[in-house]
Formats: sequence, C-alpha cells, structure tokens
Amino acid sequence: MTATTKLSLLSLLSLAVMLMAPFAGLGDIADELVRQQILYEIRLPRTLFAFVAGAGLALCGMVFQAMFHNPLATPFTLGVASGASFGAALTVFLGLNVSLLGFDAITLGAFTGALAAISFVYGISRLHYSFSIETLLLTGVATSFFFSSLILFTQYLSDINDSFRILRWLMGGLSISGYQSLLQLLPIVAFSVGIMIWLSRELNLLMAGDDIAISRGVAVKRVRYLLFFTTSLCVGAIVALCGPIGFVGMMVPHICRLIIGTDHRWLIPATLIFGGGFLILCDTLARLVIAPAELPVGIITTLLGGPFFLWLLVRSRRSA
Amino acid sequence: MIEVRALHVTLQEKTLLSDISFRLNAGDYLVVVGPNGAGKSSLLKAMMGIIDKDSGEILFHDQALSDYSQRELARLVSYVPQSSGRELPFAVEDFLKMSRYAHHSALSEWQPDDQAAVEDALRITNTAQFRQRQMTTLSGGESQRVMIAAALAQQTPVMLLDEPTSYLDPHHQVEVHRVIARLNEQLGITVIEVSHDINHAGQKGRQVLALADAQAVWQGPGEIFLEQERLQRLYQQEFVFVTHPRSGRTIALADPL
Repeated sequence: MTATTKLSLLSLLSLAVMLMAPFAGLGDIADELVRQQILYEIRLPRTLFAFVAGAGLALCGMVFQAMFHNPLATPFTLGVASGASFGAALTVFLGLNVSLLGFDAITLGAFTGALAAISFVYGISRLHYSFSIETLLLTGVATSFFFSSLILFTQYLSDINDSFRILRWLMGGLSISGYQSLLQLLPIVAFSVGIMIWLSRELNLLMAGDDIAISRGVAVKRVRYLLFFTTSLCVGAIVALCGPIGFVGMMVPHICRLIIGTDHRWLIPATLIFGGGFLILCDTLARLVIAPAELPVGIITTLLGGPFFLWLLVRSRRSA
Repeated sequence: MIEVRALHVTLQEKTLLSDISFRLNAGDYLVVVGPNGAGKSSLLKAMMGIIDKDSGEILFHDQALSDYSQRELARLVSYVPQSSGRELPFAVEDFLKMSRYAHHSALSEWQPDDQAAVEDALRITNTAQFRQRQMTTLSGGESQRVMIAAALAQQTPVMLLDEPTSYLDPHHQVEVHRVIARLNEQLGITVIEVSHDINHAGQKGRQVLALADAQAVWQGPGEIFLEQERLQRLYQQEFVFVTHPRSGRTIALADPL
C-alpha cells in the first residue's frame, strides 16, 4: 500500500468517527428542538474541539519523539505538561487577568510554565555531554513531581471550590459548550502545524541524530529552539483549555510511524488526522461509559496510555 | 583551501584541542592519527561546526567557518561520523535523499540533479543493490558504505571521515579504503580521515597529522611517518618494521614483547 492510500484510509476512518461521535447517546432525546440544540451547541463544537486538541497533542508528541530520538520522550513524560498545568493553576489562584496578543491569562500562564519546564529539562540534559535518554526521562519524571507538588500546594491554599475545580481540570476534560474554546485553540494549533510542516525535512534529519543533522546543513540549535517554543505554545494552550490529557502524544505518533513510516512529510498529516480522530473516540467513550454522567477524557487516555508506555519500554529494552 | 590556525577547543573545562594548525590544498588526503582520546574526533566535529571552538581560526577558501551558515558549510564539507550503533529508521535511498537538504530551501522541489547525485553516490560506493533496504537490516560493512554514500550525495569538495573502517573485517576495510581513495584521486575530493591504521596513514600521497593529548605532535608526508621513535612516543608502544613482500612498502607492527 502506498503512503497516499494509507493516508486516505486514515482520513476516511477519522472522518467517520467525527461524523458519528456527535450522535452517540443522542437517541433517547425525544424533543426535536432540544436535540437540535444539544447537537449544534454542545456536541458539534465539542467534537471539533476534541479533534483540534487531539491533533495538537499528537503532533507535539511527534516533534519531541523526533527531537530526542525516542518514543518515550513526549511533552508529558518530560514534565512540560506539568509545567503548563502549574502555570495555569497559579494564574487561576493568583487571579491574574492580563492578556497579550489575544491570549488570555491562563493560556499565557500555561505557556510560560511549559517553556520553563522544557528549558529546565533540556538544560539539565546538556550538563553532561553524553547524556542518555534515561537521564532525560528521569529528569522529566523529577520535573513532573516537582510541578505536581507545586500544584498541590496551590490547591491546598485555595478554598474548597477552587480546589475542586483545579482537581477536575487536572483530570483532563473536554466538557465545553459553544464555539469559543474552539476558536481560541484553532489558530494556535494551526500555527504550530504550519511550523512543523515547514520544518518537516529538518525533523527527518533530527531523527538521524544531531551530528548528522548538523553535517547535512541543519542549524540544529535554532530549529530546536523554534520547536520548543512552538510545542510549548501548543501544549500550553491545550492544557489551559482542557487540562493535561496524557499519552495521546505518545501513542498516536508511534502508531502512525508504524503505519506510514518516519518521513515527516507523511507523518505530520497522518498524526494530525489520527490524533484528532483518536481523541474524539476517547471522548465519546468517556461520555458513554457511565452515562448519563461522564468521565474526564484524561482518565480514558491515561488508562490506555499506561500499558502502552510499558509495552514500549519492554520493547525498547529487548532491542537494546 | 583549508586552513586551521591555533585552534583551541574545550568542553566543560576539559581541553579537547590545543593550538592545532595545519593547511591543506584541494585534493589533499590527510590522515589524523593518535592514541584514543587525543582529540581526533573533536577536530572533525569542530571543522563541521558540531562543537564550538574557543579560539583560533578554521578557514575554508580563506573564509572563516563562522561566516558560513550551516547550510552553506554543508555544501562545502560533508561528514561521516564514527559508527554510533544507533539504528536509523530509514530506507537506504531515503537516507541518501535526505543528504540533499543543503541544496534545497523549504519549498524547493526534488530536481533531476538531486537524483543524479544520489545515483552517483550509490554507484561509486557499490550500494545500489540495497537502495530499498531498511538501514536497520544492513551489516556493519554495508552500513558504513551507506554512510559514506550519504555524505557523497551531498556533493562537497571536502569530506571528513571519522574512523570509517573501525569495526569492519579486513575485506571490508580494504573495500571502504578503496572507495575513499577513488573519491580522492578521481573526483579530487579533499579528504580528512581519522584512523587508527598507521600503515594506511604511512603511504605515499597521504599527509599525516599526529595528535596526542589534544596537541599536534607531528605532521608531514605519509611516506616518512612510519619511524620507530616517532611511533613509540605517539603510542607509548614498541614497533617492529617489515617490508611488504610484494609492494616493498614499510609496514609497522606493534611489538607485544
């Protein structure tokens, strides 16, 4: 099968999920008007929002995996999402209300937290010339713990209502209504996708290792900083709006690589489409499992992602 | 065409290269020798812009390395790294195509001369028969030839090779050296090769730069390199010398006694 065929099949599959998801669990509502309203004001924006968020998370994971040459390295495992979560939680706690270039305070807080986390983890990894991927992952784990305890600290100081809201938000959810969140997220994800497509040749060469990438003519430092900035912005915006939804960025790009190969000119569209469809599917599951109540989608993705992480770990150990 | 002046490189307070100077003309073949940890690989990495220098000058065509963008430099110099053992997730031909990066902008299309460069590289290194194979399935010798082919597809007048024959059996060592010699003699590519093979270095037509403890301890033409006192000081090892029965060349052997 050619890459074009595979990509078309993935698109069809994803489109089918996208078309069916809004109607799932809608059958038992008799009133046509209520039904219409739920469909257009809640389900449709939520489905589209899930697609955009899922695509963004998957693509950021793909970029990290390429930059660090390891499927276990993602914005979540390296503590970037925790940094973003803390940034967002702190903004809520302090009641900051600034906005810059159209971004609200929580997004800016999450972006700053994400950037701080990645600078820290990357800085540590550069302390030793011959750092291993294990060192990097452990630094990520330590960073996650550090930010998690800071979040707990913020929660502890908050009143019971804020504290509960932070907790729910930390579980990762897509319960939005209306189109405002979608319109907020879409330009950021679109910008990130644009940057990634523009850098797809560089991403291919980064997979071969920094030395080879540099000798082929890639200005590795500049490309890496640009990608850190872009992924921090993207992860920050998603975390600010949905909370940390784990493991999408690990599972989706890895599966896509197995399906379509490592060439980013194909991998980027495949990851975008699959990531979007995958989060819609998880969100639909989250809505239906304990209906009429619903689960935060982060619980579903993490339940799937944990075993996947272990599988990757065992597999990479065996081949090493 | 290449000039290195008083090059000094440190990394985390460790001196990797100290006061290294040499000049090469177009078409020269320089073999960099010396004991492990002498700074041979660092020299190549500094010349490729992979590690930064602290002081001194590296000039290509009388223009400082720092005045080239990484992309411009990659049209002038290519690099075959020491075998890292890391598995590269590409098919051979795709990996070679990626070498054309420096000849492209983000939007430019694949051109016939790009394909020609890839085909030439496959032909010269005798790797065309496994162009479709995944890099992960190649043997050590095949993979080393593909790494050279990929650097060759970059079509640069200068090539840096870091121990291209280590980990290879005698047959593949000879084959890889034959490929490099062909690049140098027939295509006029200026070659700088790091090697532990002193007999390969000590040949007519080669320049030798001997490094020890980050410093240049000797440089000169290959045919006078193989000399007892020099080798003993360089490697802290006794050598015996024999004459090759067929070529008549002097061969140095490390003497275990």
